[in-house]
Amino acid sequence: MDRTESQDELYQKVAQEYAEALARMVWAYEADPDLRRDLSQEIHLALWRSLEKFNGRCSLRTWIYRVAHNVATSHIVRQARGKSLGTFLTLEEAESQAGIEDVEHSADRAQALSRLFALIQQLDLLDRQVMMAYLEGLDAESIAEITGLSAANVWSKIHRIKTMLVRRFHRGDRNAV
Amino acid sequence: MPCDELPDELPDDLKIPWKEAGMNGLVFSPDQLRAEAEKIKAKMRRLYLVVSFGFSSAVASYAFIIFTFHYFHIRNALMLVGSSLSVVGFGYLVIDALLKRSRALAHLGETDGLRFYRTELERKRDWIRGIAWRLPMVCVAAFVVDLGVTQELLKISAFLAGVGFSFGVFVLGLCAVWVPVRNSRMARKYQERIDALESAMTSAGRTDPKD
Repeated sequence: MDRTESQDELYQKVAQEYAEALARMVWAYEADPDLRRDLSQEIHLALWRSLEKFNGRCSLRTWIYRVAHNVATSHIVRQARGKSLGTFLTLEEAESQAGIEDVEHSADRAQALSRLFALIQQLDLLDRQVMMAYLEGLDAESIAEITGLSAANVWSKIHRIKTMLVRRFHRGDRNAV
Repeated sequence: MPCDELPDELPDDLKIPWKEAGMNGLVFSPDQLRAEAEKIKAKMRRLYLVVSFGFSSAVASYAFIIFTFHYFHIRNALMLVGSSLSVVGFGYLVIDALLKRSRALAHLGETDGLRFYRTELERKRDWIRGIAWRLPMVCVAAFVVDLGVTQELLKISAFLAGVGFSFGVFVLGLCAVWVPVRNSRMARKYQERIDALESAMTSAGRTDPKD
């Protein structure tokens, strides 16, 4: 089997397995539907191209998330003007604003999800990466490998994310979402 | 330790809808992606040709007009010096752009998010800073040409010379003062983000931020 063939096969396998996770990621990075389609295509193209160079030095999952997040980062930095880049919130800032909109319960899942996406889109890029990886169910070590943060740093960010999510969405009622 | 075991209350009910969110994940076939890659490559090649041809033609026409004008009609030293400087300035910009174009990008799969984000911010910062100091270089040369034109207009009408000079000052102010000041401010914002990332890298145990 030649290299192109194995690259194609690997891509097909990866695309099937991670299609939904990548779609969620694209939604969380880009609010505009047209740009979302472009970003999605850009990610898949980069992923397909990159698989030719996949060397197994990290897990395939780490590789995929790195490629996807990096393409999205590039997209956001390209789209952002200096001003809008400055409006991204750190987790600390987002946490301190938590009281503003958590007065009402989320009536249904769709509403909760759209609020969740809106919340993620406000965050600074690294915090977004940690939050999305956390929601995807990755452990702290994997998140550290993807983001380049230390595991301790990831843990502290996850702790903040959890606190913020509990405050904004949980409100002591597990059936609220 | 998995994230779920961290000792605080966890909104698991959010993770479930997140995972169950009915996202229609786009899946492309390798052939579609290959065709798209070819399309992008062809588009970039075309854009590059159009831009370089357009730019070179503009510089050549500018040089031709100014030099012809100088040798056959008006023998003004300022116009000659200014136009020579403009051509040198434009030439430098073209070479600089070509060198930048060939710079290799960080590999997506081998670069972690922190390092990649930093590189992207640096690229954007350098681009903004680059405009801030390259634009005045060309504008000053064009202003010297404008001074030459003003000198010649003065022989015809003081009013026209005044208009020509004011226009030159306005353009010079715009390109050599307003744009650099605005861009420096924007570049500073990017620098602040980069500094924040550097401190995150240090806390991640990296001695060299570029490591």
